[in-house]
Amino acid sequence: MRYIQIVISLFIFVLLSCNDGNRCYESVDTLMVGSFSINGFKPINNLIINGVNRNGVGDTLVNDTLSTLTKRYTFPLSLTSDSTGFVLKANGIKDTLYVRHTLIMSFISENCGFAPNYIISGFRYTAGIDSVKVTDKKVNPKSIEKLTNDQNILIYFNSAVH
Amino acid sequence: MTKIFSSILILLFINSLQGFSQKKAEVWRYEGPRFGIDLSRFLMPYMQKGKRSAWEVQADVPYKGNWFPTFEFGMQSFNDQRDGFHYKNNGTYARLGVDMNIVKFESLKDHDFVFIGARYGYSLFNQQTDGISYTNYWGALNSSIPSRTMNAHWAELVFGMKGELFSNFFLGWTLRAKFPLAVTSDPNIKPYIIPGIGKTSNGVPFDFTVGIYYRFPIFRTKTLPKVIKMGGNTHPGEVDPNDPNNPRNSGNSQYGSGSMRNGGQ
Repeated sequence: MRYIQIVISLFIFVLLSCNDGNRCYESVDTLMVGSFSINGFKPINNLIINGVNRNGVGDTLVNDTLSTLTKRYTFPLSLTSDSTGFVLKANGIKDTLYVRHTLIMSFISENCGFAPNYIISGFRYTAGIDSVKVTDKKVNPKSIEKLTNDQNILIYFNSAVH
Repeated sequence: MTKIFSSILILLFINSLQGFSQKKAEVWRYEGPRFGIDLSRFLMPYMQKGKRSAWEVQADVPYKGNWFPTFEFGMQSFNDQRDGFHYKNNGTYARLGVDMNIVKFESLKDHDFVFIGARYGYSLFNQQTDGISYTNYWGALNSSIPSRTMNAHWAELVFGMKGELFSNFFLGWTLRAKFPLAVTSDPNIKPYIIPGIGKTSNGVPFDFTVGIYYRFPIFRTKTLPKVIKMGGNTHPGEVDPNDPNNPRNSGNSQYGSGSMRNGGQ
Protein backbone atom coordinates (compact mmCIF):
# COMPACT_ATOMS: atom_id res chain seq x y z
CA MET A 1 0.00 0.00 0.00
CA ARG A 2 2.71 2.47 0.99
CA TYR A 3 4.80 1.66 -2.07
CA ILE A 4 1.78 2.37 -4.26
CA GLN A 5 1.30 5.68 -2.51
CA ILE A 6 4.88 6.74 -3.07
CA VAL A 7 4.90 5.74 -6.74
CA ILE A 8 1.59 7.41 -7.55
CA SER A 9 2.63 10.48 -5.58
CA LEU A 10 5.82 10.88 -7.58
CA PHE A 11 4.01 10.32 -10.86
CA ILE A 12 1.41 13.00 -10.21
CA PHE A 13 4.05 15.35 -8.84
CA VAL A 14 6.00 15.11 -12.08
CA LEU A 15 2.83 15.58 -14.14
CA LEU A 16 1.86 18.73 -12.30
CA SER A 17 5.34 20.16 -12.51
CA CYS A 18 4.91 20.73 -16.24
CA ASN A 19 3.85 24.25 -17.22
CA ASP A 20 3.06 26.09 -20.41
CA GLY A 21 5.96 28.58 -20.54
CA ASN A 22 5.90 32.31 -21.04
CA ARG A 23 4.46 32.76 -24.51
CA CYS A 24 1.52 34.98 -25.33
CA TYR A 25 -0.84 33.38 -27.83
CA GLU A 26 -3.58 36.00 -27.76
CA SER A 27 -3.90 39.38 -29.46
CA VAL A 28 -3.34 42.50 -27.37
CA ASP A 29 -3.72 44.93 -30.31
CA THR A 30 -6.96 46.81 -29.89
CA LEU A 31 -7.99 48.37 -33.20
CA MET A 32 -11.33 49.75 -34.33
CA VAL A 33 -12.47 48.33 -37.67
CA GLY A 34 -13.99 50.95 -40.00
CA SER A 35 -15.50 50.56 -43.44
CA PHE A 36 -15.86 53.46 -45.93
CA SER A 37 -18.11 54.02 -48.91
CA ILE A 38 -19.73 56.93 -50.72
CA ASN A 39 -23.09 55.56 -51.77
CA GLY A 40 -22.27 52.06 -52.94
CA PHE A 41 -22.03 53.12 -56.61
CA LYS A 42 -19.42 55.89 -56.64
CA PRO A 43 -15.85 54.64 -56.11
CA ILE A 44 -13.36 55.97 -53.60
CA ASN A 45 -10.34 56.60 -55.82
CA ASN A 46 -7.92 57.40 -53.02
CA LEU A 47 -8.02 57.57 -49.24
CA ILE A 48 -5.44 59.05 -46.87
CA ILE A 49 -6.05 58.93 -43.12
CA ASN A 50 -4.04 60.60 -40.34
CA GLY A 51 -4.64 61.18 -36.68
CA VAL A 52 -5.65 64.76 -35.82
CA ASN A 53 -2.46 66.75 -35.10
CA ARG A 54 -0.39 63.83 -36.27
CA ASN A 55 1.30 65.09 -39.44
CA GLY A 56 4.82 63.83 -38.96
CA VAL A 57 6.70 61.29 -41.01
CA GLY A 58 5.27 57.86 -40.31
CA ASP A 59 2.05 59.26 -38.85
CA THR A 60 -0.10 58.33 -41.85
CA LEU A 61 -2.44 55.51 -40.93
CA VAL A 62 -3.79 54.83 -44.43
CA ASN A 63 -2.56 55.80 -47.89
CA ASP A 64 -4.69 53.89 -50.37
CA THR A 65 -4.66 54.85 -54.02
CA LEU A 66 -6.60 51.89 -55.33
CA SER A 67 -10.06 52.78 -56.64
CA THR A 68 -12.75 50.65 -54.96
CA LEU A 69 -16.41 51.03 -53.97
CA THR A 70 -15.73 50.23 -50.30
CA LYS A 71 -12.63 50.27 -48.14
CA ARG A 72 -11.98 48.71 -44.77
CA TYR A 73 -9.21 49.60 -42.31
CA THR A 74 -8.30 49.28 -38.66
CA PHE A 75 -7.54 52.27 -36.41
CA PRO A 76 -5.99 52.72 -32.99
CA LEU A 77 -7.96 54.79 -30.50
CA SER A 78 -6.55 57.22 -27.96
CA LEU A 79 -5.36 55.85 -24.62
CA THR A 80 -5.41 59.14 -22.74
CA SER A 81 -8.39 61.05 -24.14
CA ASP A 82 -12.12 60.20 -24.32
CA SER A 83 -12.25 60.97 -28.04
CA THR A 84 -10.04 60.19 -31.00
CA GLY A 85 -9.83 62.40 -34.09
CA PHE A 86 -9.03 61.30 -37.63
CA VAL A 87 -8.41 63.41 -40.72
CA LEU A 88 -9.89 61.59 -43.72
CA LYS A 89 -8.90 62.70 -47.23
CA ALA A 90 -11.11 60.83 -49.70
CA ASN A 91 -11.00 61.67 -53.40
CA GLY A 92 -8.93 64.74 -52.45
CA ILE A 93 -11.51 66.20 -50.05
CA LYS A 94 -10.55 66.54 -46.40
CA ASP A 95 -12.92 65.72 -43.53
CA THR A 96 -12.51 65.23 -39.82
CA LEU A 97 -14.13 62.50 -37.74
CA TYR A 98 -14.08 62.39 -33.95
CA VAL A 99 -14.99 59.13 -32.23
CA ARG A 100 -16.07 59.42 -28.59
CA HIS A 101 -15.36 56.42 -26.40
CA THR A 102 -14.81 55.14 -22.91
CA LEU A 103 -11.72 53.11 -22.08
CA ILE A 104 -11.08 50.33 -19.65
CA MET A 105 -7.83 48.39 -19.41
CA SER A 106 -8.70 44.73 -19.39
CA PHE A 107 -6.58 41.76 -18.38
CA ILE A 108 -5.96 39.27 -21.20
CA SER A 109 -3.72 36.68 -19.56
CA GLU A 110 -0.67 36.49 -17.34
CA ASN A 111 1.58 36.03 -20.36
CA CYS A 112 -0.06 38.71 -22.52
CA GLY A 113 -0.84 41.32 -19.89
CA PHE A 114 -3.42 44.05 -20.41
CA ALA A 115 -5.11 45.55 -23.47
CA PRO A 116 -7.50 48.47 -23.85
CA ASN A 117 -11.22 47.82 -24.29
CA TYR A 118 -13.34 50.67 -25.65
CA ILE A 119 -17.03 51.36 -25.91
CA ILE A 120 -17.91 53.76 -28.71
CA SER A 121 -20.37 56.34 -27.43
CA GLY A 122 -20.75 58.86 -30.26
CA PHE A 123 -19.33 60.82 -33.20
CA ARG A 124 -18.69 64.30 -34.47
CA TYR A 125 -17.82 64.91 -38.12
CA THR A 126 -17.58 67.54 -40.84
CA ALA A 127 -19.93 68.08 -43.79
CA GLY A 128 -18.13 65.77 -46.23
CA ILE A 129 -19.27 62.81 -44.17
CA ASP A 130 -22.92 61.94 -44.64
CA SER A 131 -23.39 59.55 -41.70
CA VAL A 132 -21.64 57.10 -39.40
CA LYS A 133 -23.31 53.87 -38.39
CA VAL A 134 -22.19 51.76 -35.45
CA THR A 135 -22.44 48.03 -36.03
CA ASP A 136 -20.47 46.99 -32.95
CA LYS A 137 -19.75 49.53 -30.24
CA LYS A 138 -17.29 47.26 -28.42
CA VAL A 139 -13.68 47.64 -29.56
CA ASN A 140 -11.32 45.09 -28.06
CA PRO A 141 -8.42 42.83 -29.13
CA LYS A 142 -10.92 40.48 -30.78
CA SER A 143 -12.21 43.22 -33.09
CA ILE A 144 -9.47 42.64 -35.66
CA GLU A 145 -10.75 39.08 -36.06
CA LYS A 146 -13.99 40.35 -37.59
CA LEU A 147 -14.96 38.91 -40.94
CA THR A 148 -14.31 41.02 -44.05
CA ASN A 149 -17.97 42.07 -44.28
CA ASP A 150 -18.11 43.10 -40.62
CA GLN A 151 -16.77 46.16 -38.78
CA ASN A 152 -17.24 48.43 -35.76
CA ILE A 153 -18.32 51.52 -37.71
CA LEU A 154 -19.52 52.26 -41.25
CA ILE A 155 -18.62 55.72 -42.61
CA TYR A 156 -20.64 57.04 -45.54
CA PHE A 157 -19.11 59.98 -47.39
CA ASN A 158 -21.43 62.64 -48.75
CA SER A 159 -21.86 61.83 -52.47
CA ALA A 160 -22.66 65.46 -53.28
CA VAL A 161 -19.30 66.58 -51.89
CA HIS A 162 -17.17 63.62 -53.00
CA MET B 1 22.66 -35.20 38.44
CA THR B 2 22.29 -31.94 40.28
CA LYS B 3 23.35 -30.12 37.13
CA ILE B 4 20.69 -31.91 35.08
CA PHE B 5 18.03 -31.17 37.66
CA SER B 6 18.98 -27.49 37.91
CA SER B 7 19.02 -27.21 34.09
CA ILE B 8 15.50 -28.62 33.90
CA LEU B 9 14.37 -26.14 36.56
CA ILE B 10 15.88 -23.23 34.62
CA LEU B 11 14.24 -24.38 31.42
CA LEU B 12 10.87 -24.67 33.16
CA PHE B 13 11.31 -21.17 34.61
CA ILE B 14 12.19 -19.67 31.23
CA ASN B 15 9.29 -21.50 29.68
CA SER B 16 6.93 -20.14 32.31
CA LEU B 17 8.28 -16.60 31.69
CA GLN B 18 7.71 -17.01 27.96
CA GLY B 19 4.20 -18.18 28.66
CA PHE B 20 3.60 -15.15 30.82
CA SER B 21 4.99 -12.77 28.19
CA GLN B 22 2.93 -14.46 25.45
CA LYS B 23 -0.26 -13.66 27.29
CA LYS B 24 -1.87 -11.60 24.56
CA ALA B 25 -2.40 -7.88 25.09
CA GLU B 26 -5.84 -6.81 24.02
CA VAL B 27 -5.98 -5.40 20.47
CA TRP B 28 -7.92 -2.18 20.10
CA ARG B 29 -8.61 0.02 17.15
CA TYR B 30 -7.76 3.62 18.02
CA GLU B 31 -9.47 6.49 16.30
CA GLY B 32 -9.63 10.22 16.79
CA PRO B 33 -9.32 13.61 15.17
CA ARG B 34 -6.40 13.97 12.80
CA PHE B 35 -4.55 17.25 12.27
CA GLY B 36 -1.99 17.93 9.60
CA ILE B 37 -0.28 20.34 7.28
CA ASP B 38 -0.13 20.38 3.52
CA LEU B 39 3.55 20.10 2.56
CA SER B 40 2.92 20.80 -1.10
CA ARG B 41 2.04 24.45 -0.31
CA PHE B 42 5.64 24.97 0.79
CA LEU B 43 6.90 23.51 -2.49
CA MET B 44 4.75 25.73 -4.70
CA PRO B 45 7.23 28.67 -4.82
CA TYR B 46 9.82 26.33 -6.35
CA MET B 47 7.47 24.78 -8.91
CA GLN B 48 5.55 27.73 -10.32
CA LYS B 49 6.18 31.25 -11.57
CA GLY B 50 5.84 34.37 -9.48
CA LYS B 51 6.69 34.91 -5.84
CA ARG B 52 4.38 32.77 -3.78
CA SER B 53 3.99 31.84 -0.19
CA ALA B 54 1.30 29.61 1.20
CA TRP B 55 0.37 27.32 4.04
CA GLU B 56 -2.56 25.07 4.75
CA VAL B 57 -3.69 23.10 7.78
CA GLN B 58 -6.14 20.23 7.60
CA ALA B 59 -8.21 18.28 10.09
CA ASP B 60 -10.59 15.37 9.90
CA VAL B 61 -12.62 13.33 12.36
CA PRO B 62 -13.71 9.73 11.76
CA TYR B 63 -17.44 9.11 11.73
CA LYS B 64 -18.76 5.57 11.68
CA GLY B 65 -15.36 4.30 10.62
CA ASN B 66 -15.45 5.11 6.93
CA TRP B 67 -16.56 8.73 6.85
CA PHE B 68 -14.19 11.62 7.57
CA PRO B 69 -15.74 15.09 7.88
CA THR B 70 -12.90 17.41 6.93
CA PHE B 71 -11.96 21.04 7.48
CA GLU B 72 -9.09 22.78 5.72
CA PHE B 73 -7.83 26.31 6.22
CA GLY B 74 -5.03 28.14 4.46
CA MET B 75 -3.43 31.33 3.26
CA GLN B 76 -1.76 32.23 0.00
CA SER B 77 0.02 35.30 -1.32
CA PHE B 78 1.12 35.82 -4.88
CA ASN B 79 3.31 38.54 -6.34
CA ASP B 80 3.89 38.46 -10.08
CA GLN B 81 6.11 41.00 -11.85
CA ARG B 82 5.61 40.75 -15.60
CA ASP B 83 6.37 42.81 -18.68
CA GLY B 84 3.68 45.45 -18.65
CA PHE B 85 2.11 44.87 -15.23
CA HIS B 86 2.70 43.92 -11.62
CA TYR B 87 -0.01 41.78 -9.99
CA LYS B 88 -0.43 41.13 -6.28
CA ASN B 89 -2.98 38.86 -4.67
CA ASN B 90 -3.28 37.53 -1.14
CA GLY B 91 -5.97 36.05 1.00
CA THR B 92 -7.27 33.22 3.12
CA TYR B 93 -9.53 30.31 2.35
CA ALA B 94 -11.38 27.47 4.01
CA ARG B 95 -12.89 24.24 2.81
CA LEU B 96 -15.47 22.05 4.44
CA GLY B 97 -16.34 18.60 3.22
CA VAL B 98 -16.23 14.89 3.77
CA ASP B 99 -14.09 11.97 2.61
CA MET B 100 -15.41 8.46 2.22
CA ASN B 101 -13.16 5.41 2.53
CA ILE B 102 -13.60 3.05 -0.43
CA VAL B 103 -11.36 0.16 0.65
CA LYS B 104 -11.66 -2.50 3.31
CA PHE B 105 -9.63 -2.17 6.50
CA GLU B 106 -7.76 -5.46 6.79
CA SER B 107 -7.43 -5.52 10.59
CA LEU B 108 -8.08 -3.46 13.68
CA LYS B 109 -4.55 -2.08 13.35
CA ASP B 110 -4.99 -1.15 9.68
CA HIS B 111 -5.73 2.54 9.20
CA ASP B 112 -4.53 2.96 5.59
CA PHE B 113 -7.35 4.06 3.36
CA VAL B 114 -8.22 5.30 -0.10
CA PHE B 115 -10.96 7.86 -0.33
CA ILE B 116 -13.14 9.97 -2.52
CA GLY B 117 -14.55 13.18 -1.19
CA ALA B 118 -16.20 16.50 -1.83
CA ARG B 119 -15.51 20.00 -0.57
CA TYR B 120 -17.15 23.38 -0.52
CA GLY B 121 -14.59 26.18 -0.54
CA TYR B 122 -14.70 29.89 0.22
CA SER B 123 -11.90 32.37 -0.31
CA LEU B 124 -11.60 36.01 0.75
CA PHE B 125 -8.75 37.85 -0.90
CA ASN B 126 -7.35 41.16 -2.13
CA GLN B 127 -5.92 41.85 -5.52
CA GLN B 128 -4.08 44.84 -6.86
CA THR B 129 -2.36 45.62 -10.13
CA ASP B 130 0.07 48.42 -10.78
CA GLY B 131 2.63 49.30 -13.41
CA ILE B 132 0.19 48.59 -16.24
CA SER B 133 1.75 49.96 -19.41
CA TYR B 134 0.47 49.96 -22.98
CA THR B 135 1.63 51.83 -26.08
CA ASN B 136 -0.05 52.47 -29.42
CA TYR B 137 -0.09 55.08 -32.22
CA TRP B 138 -1.39 57.75 -29.84
CA GLY B 139 1.21 57.32 -27.15
CA ALA B 140 1.68 55.41 -23.91
CA LEU B 141 -0.63 54.70 -21.02
CA ASN B 142 0.57 53.95 -17.51
CA SER B 143 -2.09 53.05 -15.03
CA SER B 144 -2.91 50.91 -12.04
CA ILE B 145 -5.93 49.19 -10.54
CA PRO B 146 -6.32 49.85 -6.82
CA SER B 147 -6.59 47.09 -4.24
CA ARG B 148 -9.97 45.42 -4.06
CA THR B 149 -11.41 42.79 -1.74
CA MET B 150 -13.01 39.91 -3.58
CA ASN B 151 -14.37 36.48 -2.76
CA ALA B 152 -14.90 33.16 -4.45
CA HIS B 153 -16.99 30.06 -3.85
CA TRP B 154 -16.16 26.71 -5.36
CA ALA B 155 -16.72 22.97 -5.13
CA GLU B 156 -14.09 20.26 -5.23
CA LEU B 157 -13.99 16.57 -5.99
CA VAL B 158 -11.21 14.81 -4.17
CA PHE B 159 -9.46 11.49 -4.61
CA GLY B 160 -6.63 10.46 -2.32
CA MET B 161 -4.95 8.13 0.10
CA LYS B 162 -3.74 8.29 3.67
CA GLY B 163 -1.38 5.72 5.13
CA GLU B 164 -0.15 5.30 8.68
CA LEU B 165 3.62 5.60 8.50
CA PHE B 166 4.06 4.75 12.16
CA SER B 167 1.83 4.87 15.18
CA ASN B 168 -0.66 7.77 14.74
CA PHE B 169 1.48 9.53 12.10
CA PHE B 170 0.02 9.57 8.60
CA LEU B 171 1.23 10.56 5.16
CA GLY B 172 -1.35 11.28 2.51
CA TRP B 173 -1.97 12.83 -0.85
CA THR B 174 -4.99 14.10 -2.74
CA LEU B 175 -5.78 14.94 -6.32
CA ARG B 176 -8.47 17.58 -6.62
CA ALA B 177 -10.66 18.93 -9.40
CA LYS B 178 -12.03 22.37 -8.59
CA PHE B 179 -15.20 23.88 -9.94
CA PRO B 180 -15.49 27.65 -9.41
CA LEU B 181 -19.12 28.50 -8.63
CA ALA B 182 -18.99 32.27 -8.11
CA VAL B 183 -16.18 34.81 -8.20
CA THR B 184 -16.55 38.54 -7.60
CA SER B 185 -16.52 40.13 -11.02
CA ASP B 186 -14.19 42.96 -11.90
CA PRO B 187 -14.35 44.82 -15.22
CA ASN B 188 -10.58 45.33 -15.25
CA ILE B 189 -9.11 42.05 -14.20
CA LYS B 190 -10.58 38.67 -13.48
CA PRO B 191 -8.41 37.22 -10.69
CA TYR B 192 -6.12 34.72 -12.35
CA ILE B 193 -4.99 33.24 -9.06
CA ILE B 194 -7.47 32.61 -6.26
CA PRO B 195 -6.24 31.42 -2.87
CA GLY B 196 -7.56 27.90 -2.40
CA ILE B 197 -8.39 27.39 -6.08
CA GLY B 198 -5.18 28.30 -7.87
CA LYS B 199 -5.03 29.43 -11.47
CA THR B 200 -8.38 30.16 -13.00
CA SER B 201 -7.23 30.25 -16.62
CA ASN B 202 -8.27 26.61 -16.97
CA GLY B 203 -11.97 25.90 -16.74
CA VAL B 204 -11.48 23.20 -14.11
CA PRO B 205 -8.28 23.79 -12.15
CA PHE B 206 -6.58 20.67 -10.79
CA ASP B 207 -4.49 20.55 -7.65
CA PHE B 208 -2.31 18.05 -5.88
CA THR B 209 -1.57 18.05 -2.17
CA VAL B 210 0.76 16.02 0.03
CA GLY B 211 0.24 16.19 3.77
CA ILE B 212 1.49 14.78 7.03
CA TYR B 213 -0.96 14.23 9.87
CA TYR B 214 -1.07 13.27 13.50
CA ARG B 215 -4.07 11.42 14.91
CA PHE B 216 -5.02 11.91 18.52
CA PRO B 217 -6.05 8.39 19.58
CA ILE B 218 -8.96 9.46 21.74
CA PHE B 219 -11.49 6.74 20.96
CA ARG B 220 -10.95 3.00 20.92
CA THR B 221 -13.07 0.21 19.58
CA LYS B 222 -12.92 -3.46 18.78
CA THR B 223 -15.21 -3.13 15.81
CA LEU B 224 -13.76 -3.04 12.34
CA PRO B 225 -15.71 -0.63 10.10
CA LYS B 226 -17.74 -2.39 7.45
CA VAL B 227 -16.98 -1.71 3.82
CA ILE B 228 -19.39 0.81 2.35
CA LYS B 229 -21.46 -0.93 -0.27
CA MET B 230 -21.30 1.03 -3.51
CA GLY B 231 -23.63 -1.15 -5.58
CA GLY B 232 -26.95 -0.38 -3.93
CA ASN B 233 -29.52 -3.03 -2.96
CA THR B 234 -29.31 -6.56 -4.25
CA HIS B 235 -31.82 -7.59 -6.85
CA PRO B 236 -34.59 -10.03 -6.00
CA GLY B 237 -33.14 -13.52 -6.21
CA GLU B 238 -29.53 -12.24 -6.08
CA VAL B 239 -27.28 -13.63 -3.34
CA ASP B 240 -25.67 -11.04 -1.06
CA PRO B 241 -22.09 -12.16 -0.29
CA ASN B 242 -22.17 -10.33 3.10
CA ASP B 243 -25.42 -11.95 4.15
CA PRO B 244 -24.84 -14.47 7.00
CA ASN B 245 -27.73 -16.53 5.61
CA ASN B 246 -25.94 -16.77 2.32
CA PRO B 247 -25.16 -20.50 1.82
CA ARG B 248 -21.79 -19.50 0.32
CA ASN B 249 -20.79 -18.11 3.73
CA SER B 250 -21.69 -21.25 5.70
CA GLY B 251 -19.32 -24.12 6.27
CA ASN B 252 -21.53 -26.84 4.71
CA SER B 253 -22.24 -25.01 1.54
CA GLN B 254 -23.71 -26.87 -1.39
CA TYR B 255 -21.64 -24.53 -3.58
CA GLY B 256 -18.38 -25.58 -1.95
CA SER B 257 -15.43 -23.30 -1.36
CA GLY B 258 -11.84 -22.94 -2.38
CA SER B 259 -9.49 -20.80 -4.34
CA MET B 260 -8.82 -20.50 -8.03
CA ARG B 261 -5.06 -20.30 -7.64
CA ASN B 262 -4.57 -23.78 -9.08
CA GLY B 263 -6.39 -22.94 -12.23
CA GLY B 264 -9.84 -23.40 -10.86
CA GLN B 265 -9.92 -27.16 -11.51
